[in-house]
Amino acid sequence: MLLWIGIIVILVVVIFLLVFWGYYNRIIRLENRIDNSWAQIDVQLRRRAELIPNLMETVKGYMKHEKEVLENVTKARSAIMTAKTPQKNIEADNMLTGALKSLFAVAENYPDLKANQNFLNLQDELTHTEDKISYSRQHYNDSVLAFNNTIETFPGIIFAKRMGKKEREMLQIPEATRELPKVKF
Amino acid sequence: MLLEDHIRKNKRNTVLICTFMALLFLGVVFAFGYIFFGNIYIALIFGLPIALVYIAITYSFSVKTVLSAAKARPANHHVREEKLLIYKVEEMAIAAGLPTPKVYIQDSDNINAFATGKKPEESVICTTTGALKKLKPDELEGVMGHEMSHIQNHDILIATVTLAVVGSIALISEILFYSLFWGGAGRGRKSEGNAILLVLAILLVILAPIFSRLTYLAISRKREYLADANGSRLTRNPEGLAKALGKIKLDIPKGKPKGSKTVAPLYIANPFKRQTLNSIWSTHPPIDERIRRLRSM
Repeated sequence: MLLWIGIIVILVVVIFLLVFWGYYNRIIRLENRIDNSWAQIDVQLRRRAELIPNLMETVKGYMKHEKEVLENVTKARSAIMTAKTPQKNIEADNMLTGALKSLFAVAENYPDLKANQNFLNLQDELTHTEDKISYSRQHYNDSVLAFNNTIETFPGIIFAKRMGKKEREMLQIPEATRELPKVKF
Repeated sequence: MLLEDHIRKNKRNTVLICTFMALLFLGVVFAFGYIFFGNIYIALIFGLPIALVYIAITYSFSVKTVLSAAKARPANHHVREEKLLIYKVEEMAIAAGLPTPKVYIQDSDNINAFATGKKPEESVICTTTGALKKLKPDELEGVMGHEMSHIQNHDILIATVTLAVVGSIALISEILFYSLFWGGAGRGRKSEGNAILLVLAILLVILAPIFSRLTYLAISRKREYLADANGSRLTRNPEGLAKALGKIKLDIPKGKPKGSKTVAPLYIANPFKRQTLNSIWSTHPPIDERIRRLRSM
């Protein structure tokens, strides 16, 4: 009888340890995925900021009378370079997206500029980087959701508490930038 | 049904069908042993290594064979259409959280695309020039999302392994069939008593190749639905893929398609014929049903 109780106790402990092992690795893996996808967003944001001076150089000659549009882009770019937190970074990026949208809209009025190969390439690449940013944001939020689901549901919640893991926050798109940028002609 | 439910249901179905296939394979191996040696376990010693080697060989040659059969070439960064395609693939890879696959182009007027590769780190996505010309950006994005999910779901592995199992079942059945014909079987059998079991074993050997083929096709169709659902989760836009499939449906293959029929399940739609009817012999589900499911997401 005593032997049986002993075996059952050992079995329960072993099963618990195995489950803990699985959940420990899973929680760490999911958390690393969040950090990694943030790094991905950061890389794209920087890439976009690096493309801006090139764009300015190309556009400058054609758009002498669009000072305001050009200034907005430069301002948004420096906001990205100085942003410290992910949320601030995303806000600055949204500013840049808006500023670029008006720039490309205004560019429609300059046929010479639109025929410029360099400008076309930059436009393609900037749009591409912008799409990449939104997809990496989506992946970031997907990763946060997977992590939160694991640490908030049973039995993950028991292990997460023991490991001192807390719920992560998703990236929110700032309200103001959801509207289309206004372009004055 | 929600996207997540579609994904879960399709995964469960694949597991069920794969189990059935494994059982079928074991059945054939056991039957082989019973007919030849009167002992079902002896066959395991022969059957399993044959299958494993067969799978390993097909698997290790898969990528090169598929690409050369399709006569595909790497995408050119200097052509704008192809550059934008590379961009799209990069974006989908980011959405899936995977390394960017290599992008290949197949010169063909038909709209089609496929993915291949042993693991996500060494994968390839190939698109026809017809797809680049005829699909709008959001439609192309839908197709790329579909292909990216094939990579993410390890469908290439599943397709190669299941096809290899189908191949080894066919191989074993053939050996048995011929040896029965030449009267070679039954030498090792000690008891002559169980005639019914012997007949059953022979029946299994004859039917197994057909059933394994059907199972393989069923898996292939399930994985297509799964890739549709999963791809829409990557793009967050099922309508793009639905519109692309609508165009593919009207785009009737012209001329002799390149490539071998074995790679047909890898394509987004069967390049050899367009199925509109639901048939157990088709590699892909009917396009109308795929579109209906995408629009219901």
